[in-house]
Amino acid sequence: MVPLLAAVLVLSWAAAVCAAEDVDTERDPLECVNRKIFWFNDKLDVYVLAPVATGWEKVSPRRVRTSVSNFFGNLRFPIVTVNDLLQGKVKDSASDVGRFAVNTTVGVLGFFDPASGWGLVKHDEDFGQTLGVWGVPPGPYLVLPLLGPSDPRDATGFAVDYALSVTPFFIDEAILWGARVGDTVNERSFVLKQVEDAKASAFDYYTFVRNAYLQRRRALVRDLVEGSAEESEELYHPEFDLEEKP
Amino acid sequence: MNRRRRTLAVVALASCLAGGALAGESPRAIVEKMSRAAVDILGDKSLSSDEKRHRVEDLAYANVDFETMSRLVLARLWSQLSPAQQTEFVKLFREHLALTYGRNIESYNNEKVQVVSDHDEGRGDWTVKTKILRGGGSADVLVDYRLRQENDAWRIIDIVIERVSLVANFRSQFQEIVNSGGPAKLLDVLREKNAKGEPLKS
Repeated sequence: MVPLLAAVLVLSWAAAVCAAEDVDTERDPLECVNRKIFWFNDKLDVYVLAPVATGWEKVSPRRVRTSVSNFFGNLRFPIVTVNDLLQGKVKDSASDVGRFAVNTTVGVLGFFDPASGWGLVKHDEDFGQTLGVWGVPPGPYLVLPLLGPSDPRDATGFAVDYALSVTPFFIDEAILWGARVGDTVNERSFVLKQVEDAKASAFDYYTFVRNAYLQRRRALVRDLVEGSAEESEELYHPEFDLEEKP
Repeated sequence: MNRRRRTLAVVALASCLAGGALAGESPRAIVEKMSRAAVDILGDKSLSSDEKRHRVEDLAYANVDFETMSRLVLARLWSQLSPAQQTEFVKLFREHLALTYGRNIESYNNEKVQVVSDHDEGRGDWTVKTKILRGGGSADVLVDYRLRQENDAWRIIDIVIERVSLVANFRSQFQEIVNSGGPAKLLDVLREKNAKGEPLKS
């Protein structure tokens, strides 16, 4: 359990360095600790993950990487389907069962995605979103060692999804970890340029990522309920709108 | 020479007429037209990268309301800036966006844009949802445009990429800078950042 050990070490280091709490901005009372972990994750990305992903991108055509991504995406079928159901999206869950059936057979073990072409659209659901749909508040923003941006709700969701994805398959632990690493490297290879651009253009990369994460999760949870009017009011009609333009 | 000038005049006249037809166009039609024009420019092999960059910038300037966007990004902070600072902020912010998105011009790989749907947001705003097609499924990129109507013309006031609003994201970043060093610091940081990026070639 090297990753777990690393995670605990980073956490305790960050907690030791950060004694005082910062001002609460954007749901981030633990900003000081979070920034330390973020820094650590970023270094890990810059020196290990990104270089490996760059190498993988160089040696494998996009088609191959897409197939790998399809394969792992297909294995997420129990997670997506169960969470569809838990959120009351019965139609979506039926479509996701259909996707799994089609892509596992016609799509050769999930390496290809003919289902999308047949109108069975891929859904993105996880237990963190389910908790959100059930009305569980997200809690403070957290950056987890190795896993990145999260919050207590999404971290809980991650643990539940993890249990859901492992238990049905009686596969050796080492193979599972290998597969997870492979999946991560492969997914990273799709966004090499995007991450580079984001870093170059961001004024504060930490704030950039935090805001993007919070916005995206909020929107994903709300795909059932349309966006809160209050938030959109705050974003697009802040009070100065009542004043005259100069 | 003479002939060329006449051609230019015809083109200018035609674009004036086209401009006239623009008034009253629906937000969806505007986004559709803009996306098509962008794809045409980016896919045009006879253009150099610089020419592409210029044309895409012109296209953006014609369709994006940078002033409203700037006001929304700064929200309550806007009034902390003097009028001169406000003008400079709009200019610097626009430049920053041009630099950021200009970086992507070379990585264009024949992607097409599909307008998915559009809906009224109330209070004079409209959202048009599009997708940059990159092989289907999660590889496609969702891009929503929020437009606002002013003087009978719809212009873009926010771009939401994969559910992340550009206005909201910059707002949270700029908030921190202004909180720590005031509006002057914000302009300094922007100036410095733009200077570090590739210079705008003219």
